[in-house]
Amino acid sequence: MSEPTRYPIKSDPDAELVRAARADQAAAFPELVKRYERALYNFGLKMCGVASDAEDLVQDTFLNVYRYLDGFRNETKFKNWVYRIAASICIKKRRKSKFAPDRELSLDEFLPTDETAVEGDVPAWAALPLDRVLNDELRRKLQEAILALPEKYRVVLVLRDVEGFSTEESAQILNLTPANVKVRLHRARLFLRDHLKSYFDNV
Amino acid sequence: MSEHTPHNHPDFRCRELFARMSEYLDNELDGSLCREIEGHLNECQACKVCLSTLKRTVALCREAGAAPIPETLSRRLRELIATLAKP
Repeated sequence: MSEPTRYPIKSDPDAELVRAARADQAAAFPELVKRYERALYNFGLKMCGVASDAEDLVQDTFLNVYRYLDGFRNETKFKNWVYRIAASICIKKRRKSKFAPDRELSLDEFLPTDETAVEGDVPAWAALPLDRVLNDELRRKLQEAILALPEKYRVVLVLRDVEGFSTEESAQILNLTPANVKVRLHRARLFLRDHLKSYFDNV
Repeated sequence: MSEHTPHNHPDFRCRELFARMSEYLDNELDGSLCREIEGHLNECQACKVCLSTLKRTVALCREAGAAPIPETLSRRLRELIATLAKP
Protein backbone atom coordinates (compact mmCIF):
# COMPACT_ATOMS: atom_id res chain seq x y z
CA MET A 1 0.00 0.00 0.00
CA SER A 2 1.15 3.51 -0.65
CA GLU A 3 2.14 5.61 2.32
CA PRO A 4 -0.82 7.29 4.00
CA THR A 5 -1.28 10.98 3.36
CA ARG A 6 0.66 12.90 5.99
CA TYR A 7 -1.71 15.76 6.48
CA PRO A 8 -5.31 15.61 7.60
CA ILE A 9 -7.87 15.47 4.80
CA LYS A 10 -9.42 18.92 4.70
CA SER A 11 -12.58 18.08 2.79
CA ASP A 12 -13.96 15.32 4.97
CA PRO A 13 -17.73 15.86 5.35
CA ASP A 14 -17.62 13.91 8.61
CA ALA A 15 -14.80 15.90 10.21
CA GLU A 16 -16.99 18.01 12.47
CA LEU A 17 -19.08 15.09 13.65
CA VAL A 18 -15.96 13.02 14.30
CA ARG A 19 -14.57 15.86 16.43
CA ALA A 20 -17.85 16.03 18.33
CA ALA A 21 -17.85 12.24 18.85
CA ARG A 22 -14.31 12.39 20.20
CA ALA A 23 -15.36 15.04 22.69
CA ASP A 24 -18.58 13.31 23.73
CA GLN A 25 -19.13 9.87 22.23
CA ALA A 26 -22.49 9.33 23.92
CA ALA A 27 -23.90 12.47 22.32
CA ALA A 28 -22.44 12.34 18.80
CA PHE A 29 -21.67 8.71 18.06
CA PRO A 30 -25.30 7.74 17.34
CA GLU A 31 -25.30 10.28 14.51
CA LEU A 32 -22.17 8.70 13.02
CA VAL A 33 -23.92 5.32 13.20
CA LYS A 34 -27.01 6.69 11.54
CA ARG A 35 -24.86 8.12 8.76
CA TYR A 36 -23.25 4.82 7.85
CA GLU A 37 -25.42 1.97 9.13
CA ARG A 38 -27.34 1.47 5.90
CA ALA A 39 -24.31 1.72 3.64
CA LEU A 40 -22.38 -0.74 5.79
CA TYR A 41 -25.33 -3.12 5.94
CA ASN A 42 -25.50 -3.16 2.14
CA PHE A 43 -21.73 -3.60 1.93
CA GLY A 44 -22.15 -6.59 4.25
CA LEU A 45 -24.98 -8.04 2.17
CA LYS A 46 -22.90 -7.82 -0.98
CA MET A 47 -19.88 -9.33 0.74
CA CYS A 48 -21.57 -12.05 2.82
CA GLY A 49 -24.88 -12.66 1.06
CA VAL A 50 -26.63 -13.45 4.35
CA ALA A 51 -28.53 -10.80 6.29
CA SER A 52 -27.45 -12.07 9.73
CA ASP A 53 -23.76 -11.98 8.70
CA ALA A 54 -24.23 -8.48 7.29
CA GLU A 55 -25.79 -7.39 10.60
CA ASP A 56 -22.86 -8.84 12.55
CA LEU A 57 -20.46 -7.04 10.25
CA VAL A 58 -22.18 -3.70 10.90
CA GLN A 59 -22.14 -4.24 14.65
CA ASP A 60 -18.48 -5.34 14.73
CA THR A 61 -17.47 -2.42 12.55
CA PHE A 62 -19.12 0.17 14.80
CA LEU A 63 -17.69 -1.51 17.88
CA ASN A 64 -14.22 -1.05 16.42
CA VAL A 65 -14.93 2.49 15.29
CA TYR A 66 -16.09 3.31 18.82
CA ARG A 67 -13.02 1.75 20.41
CA TYR A 68 -10.44 3.23 18.07
CA LEU A 69 -11.96 6.61 17.23
CA ASP A 70 -9.34 8.39 19.34
CA GLY A 71 -6.66 6.76 17.22
CA PHE A 72 -8.16 8.03 13.96
CA ARG A 73 -5.74 10.70 12.78
CA ASN A 74 -7.67 12.14 9.82
CA GLU A 75 -5.04 10.73 7.46
CA THR A 76 -7.89 9.61 5.27
CA LYS A 77 -11.60 10.42 5.11
CA PHE A 78 -13.53 9.03 8.05
CA LYS A 79 -15.74 7.07 5.63
CA ASN A 80 -12.69 5.38 4.09
CA TRP A 81 -11.39 4.51 7.55
CA VAL A 82 -14.76 2.95 8.46
CA TYR A 83 -14.74 0.85 5.30
CA ARG A 84 -11.17 -0.16 5.98
CA ILE A 85 -12.32 -1.57 9.30
CA ALA A 86 -15.33 -3.28 7.70
CA ALA A 87 -13.27 -4.80 4.88
CA SER A 88 -10.69 -6.02 7.33
CA ILE A 89 -13.41 -7.71 9.43
CA CYS A 90 -14.78 -9.37 6.27
CA ILE A 91 -11.38 -10.69 5.35
CA LYS A 92 -10.67 -11.96 8.87
CA LYS A 93 -14.02 -13.71 8.99
CA ARG A 94 -13.46 -15.28 5.63
CA ARG A 95 -15.02 -18.65 5.49
CA LYS A 96 -14.74 -21.23 2.80
CA SER A 97 -17.81 -20.68 0.73
CA LYS A 98 -19.31 -23.22 -1.60
CA PHE A 99 -20.36 -20.30 -3.79
CA ALA A 100 -17.02 -18.61 -3.99
CA PRO A 101 -13.96 -20.81 -3.70
CA ASP A 102 -10.78 -18.77 -3.49
CA ARG A 103 -9.08 -18.78 -6.87
CA GLU A 104 -7.29 -16.51 -9.27
CA LEU A 105 -9.20 -15.15 -12.24
CA SER A 106 -7.09 -14.86 -15.36
CA LEU A 107 -7.79 -12.52 -18.24
CA ASP A 108 -7.56 -15.35 -20.74
CA GLU A 109 -10.56 -17.17 -19.32
CA PHE A 110 -12.76 -14.25 -20.38
CA LEU A 111 -11.50 -13.94 -23.94
CA PRO A 112 -13.96 -15.32 -26.47
CA THR A 113 -12.54 -18.67 -27.55
CA ASP A 114 -14.00 -18.89 -31.01
CA GLU A 115 -15.86 -16.79 -33.49
CA THR A 116 -19.25 -18.16 -32.48
CA ALA A 117 -18.69 -16.74 -29.00
CA VAL A 118 -18.36 -13.25 -30.41
CA GLU A 119 -21.58 -11.30 -30.80
CA GLY A 120 -22.09 -9.26 -33.94
CA ASP A 121 -24.46 -6.70 -32.45
CA VAL A 122 -24.77 -5.04 -29.09
CA PRO A 123 -27.29 -7.27 -27.25
CA ALA A 124 -30.59 -5.81 -26.08
CA TRP A 125 -29.59 -5.98 -22.39
CA ALA A 126 -26.73 -3.60 -23.10
CA ALA A 127 -28.56 -1.44 -25.64
CA LEU A 128 -31.98 -0.80 -24.06
CA PRO A 129 -32.43 2.00 -21.50
CA LEU A 130 -31.25 0.83 -18.09
CA ASP A 131 -34.69 1.10 -16.45
CA ARG A 132 -36.15 -1.29 -19.04
CA VAL A 133 -33.53 -3.90 -18.21
CA LEU A 134 -33.13 -3.64 -14.44
CA ASN A 135 -35.80 -5.59 -12.56
CA ASP A 136 -35.93 -7.63 -9.36
CA GLU A 137 -34.93 -10.87 -11.05
CA LEU A 138 -31.89 -9.23 -12.60
CA ARG A 139 -30.99 -7.72 -9.22
CA ARG A 140 -31.05 -11.24 -7.77
CA LYS A 141 -28.91 -12.60 -10.61
CA LEU A 142 -26.46 -9.77 -10.16
CA GLN A 143 -26.22 -10.43 -6.43
CA GLU A 144 -25.65 -14.16 -7.12
CA ALA A 145 -22.89 -13.32 -9.57
CA ILE A 146 -21.23 -10.94 -7.11
CA LEU A 147 -21.32 -13.63 -4.42
CA ALA A 148 -19.83 -16.15 -6.85
CA LEU A 149 -16.75 -13.94 -7.25
CA PRO A 150 -13.70 -15.02 -5.26
CA GLU A 151 -13.54 -12.72 -2.25
CA LYS A 152 -10.47 -10.71 -3.20
CA TYR A 153 -12.14 -9.71 -6.47
CA ARG A 154 -15.56 -9.26 -4.87
CA VAL A 155 -14.38 -6.74 -2.31
CA VAL A 156 -12.73 -4.60 -5.01
CA LEU A 157 -15.81 -4.69 -7.23
CA VAL A 158 -18.13 -3.80 -4.35
CA LEU A 159 -15.98 -0.88 -3.23
CA ARG A 160 -15.49 0.50 -6.74
CA ASP A 161 -18.73 -0.24 -8.59
CA VAL A 162 -21.31 -0.49 -5.81
CA GLU A 163 -20.01 1.87 -3.13
CA GLY A 164 -18.43 4.28 -5.59
CA PHE A 165 -14.93 4.61 -4.10
CA SER A 166 -12.16 5.72 -6.46
CA THR A 167 -9.27 3.46 -7.42
CA GLU A 168 -6.97 5.29 -4.99
CA GLU A 169 -9.47 5.14 -2.14
CA SER A 170 -10.11 1.44 -2.71
CA ALA A 171 -6.36 0.81 -2.74
CA GLN A 172 -6.01 2.63 0.55
CA ILE A 173 -8.95 0.79 2.14
CA LEU A 174 -7.63 -2.61 1.07
CA ASN A 175 -3.92 -1.93 1.51
CA LEU A 176 -3.27 -2.67 -2.18
CA THR A 177 -1.55 -0.75 -4.93
CA PRO A 178 -3.84 1.14 -7.35
CA ALA A 179 -2.51 -1.08 -10.15
CA ASN A 180 -3.59 -4.16 -8.25
CA VAL A 181 -7.05 -2.69 -7.69
CA LYS A 182 -7.38 -2.03 -11.42
CA VAL A 183 -6.39 -5.58 -12.36
CA ARG A 184 -8.78 -7.17 -9.86
CA LEU A 185 -11.62 -4.81 -10.79
CA HIS A 186 -11.33 -5.55 -14.49
CA ARG A 187 -11.37 -9.32 -13.96
CA ALA A 188 -14.29 -9.05 -11.57
CA ARG A 189 -16.26 -7.00 -14.10
CA LEU A 190 -15.51 -9.50 -16.88
CA PHE A 191 -16.65 -12.31 -14.58
CA LEU A 192 -19.95 -10.52 -13.91
CA ARG A 193 -20.38 -9.68 -17.56
CA ASP A 194 -20.05 -13.35 -18.49
CA HIS A 195 -22.65 -14.28 -15.85
CA LEU A 196 -25.07 -11.65 -17.10
CA LYS A 197 -24.49 -12.70 -20.71
CA SER A 198 -25.27 -16.32 -19.83
CA TYR A 199 -28.39 -15.22 -17.97
CA PHE A 200 -29.69 -13.14 -20.89
CA ASP A 201 -28.78 -15.83 -23.43
CA ASN A 202 -31.13 -18.16 -21.56
CA VAL A 203 -33.99 -15.79 -20.78
CA MET B 1 -4.54 -0.88 -36.82
CA SER B 2 -4.68 -4.02 -38.87
CA GLU B 3 -7.80 -5.19 -40.63
CA HIS B 4 -9.13 -8.42 -39.22
CA THR B 5 -12.31 -10.39 -39.23
CA PRO B 6 -14.39 -10.76 -36.10
CA HIS B 7 -12.79 -12.72 -34.28
CA ASN B 8 -11.24 -14.62 -31.47
CA HIS B 9 -9.24 -11.64 -30.34
CA PRO B 10 -6.09 -12.68 -32.14
CA ASP B 11 -5.33 -9.13 -33.08
CA PHE B 12 -2.83 -7.40 -30.85
CA ARG B 13 -4.95 -4.25 -30.54
CA CYS B 14 -8.00 -6.30 -29.53
CA ARG B 15 -6.07 -8.07 -26.79
CA GLU B 16 -4.60 -4.84 -25.52
CA LEU B 17 -7.98 -3.18 -25.46
CA PHE B 18 -9.51 -6.22 -23.80
CA ALA B 19 -6.95 -5.91 -21.00
CA ARG B 20 -7.51 -2.19 -20.50
CA MET B 21 -11.21 -1.82 -21.16
CA SER B 22 -12.09 -1.02 -17.54
CA GLU B 23 -9.43 1.66 -17.34
CA TYR B 24 -10.85 3.12 -20.55
CA LEU B 25 -14.38 3.11 -19.10
CA ASP B 26 -13.11 4.72 -15.90
CA ASN B 27 -11.24 7.48 -17.76
CA GLU B 28 -7.97 6.29 -16.30
CA LEU B 29 -5.98 6.18 -19.55
CA ASP B 30 -4.05 9.02 -21.11
CA GLY B 31 -5.45 10.90 -24.07
CA SER B 32 -3.32 9.35 -26.80
CA LEU B 33 -4.20 5.81 -25.73
CA CYS B 34 -7.88 6.76 -25.53
CA ARG B 35 -7.78 8.11 -29.08
CA GLU B 36 -6.06 4.96 -30.27
CA ILE B 37 -8.69 2.82 -28.60
CA GLU B 38 -11.51 4.90 -30.07
CA GLY B 39 -9.97 4.45 -33.50
CA HIS B 40 -9.91 0.71 -32.95
CA LEU B 41 -13.51 0.66 -31.70
CA ASN B 42 -14.63 2.32 -34.94
CA GLU B 43 -13.12 -0.57 -36.88
CA CYS B 44 -13.80 -3.54 -34.65
CA GLN B 45 -17.42 -4.47 -33.98
CA ALA B 46 -16.46 -7.31 -31.63
CA CYS B 47 -14.56 -4.97 -29.32
CA LYS B 48 -17.41 -2.48 -29.52
CA VAL B 49 -19.87 -5.13 -28.34
CA CYS B 50 -17.46 -6.25 -25.64
CA LEU B 51 -17.10 -2.68 -24.38
CA SER B 52 -20.87 -2.04 -24.45
CA THR B 53 -21.66 -5.13 -22.39
CA LEU B 54 -18.90 -4.35 -19.90
CA LYS B 55 -20.14 -0.77 -19.58
CA ARG B 56 -23.69 -2.02 -18.96
CA THR B 57 -22.41 -4.47 -16.35
CA VAL B 58 -20.83 -1.59 -14.43
CA ALA B 59 -23.99 0.52 -14.77
CA LEU B 60 -26.13 -2.32 -13.42
CA CYS B 61 -23.88 -2.65 -10.37
CA ARG B 62 -24.13 1.09 -9.73
CA GLU B 63 -27.88 1.27 -10.22
CA ALA B 64 -29.01 -1.96 -8.55
CA GLY B 65 -30.02 -0.02 -5.44
CA ALA B 66 -29.59 -0.54 -1.73
CA ALA B 67 -31.69 -2.53 0.72
CA PRO B 68 -33.24 -0.71 3.68
CA ILE B 69 -31.64 -1.41 7.03
CA PRO B 70 -33.71 -3.77 9.22
CA GLU B 71 -35.27 -1.93 12.17
CA THR B 72 -34.00 -4.73 14.45
CA LEU B 73 -30.42 -3.87 13.46
CA SER B 74 -30.89 -0.14 14.06
CA ARG B 75 -32.30 -0.93 17.50
CA ARG B 76 -29.45 -3.34 18.25
CA LEU B 77 -26.92 -0.65 17.35
CA ARG B 78 -28.61 1.97 19.52
CA GLU B 79 -28.61 -0.45 22.46
CA LEU B 80 -24.97 -1.30 21.87
CA ILE B 81 -23.94 2.34 21.89
CA ALA B 82 -25.96 3.00 25.03
CA THR B 83 -24.16 0.10 26.74
CA LEU B 84 -20.74 1.30 25.58
CA ALA B 85 -21.44 4.86 26.69
CA LYS B 86 -22.27 3.84 30.26
CA PRO B 87 -19.54 5.04 32.63
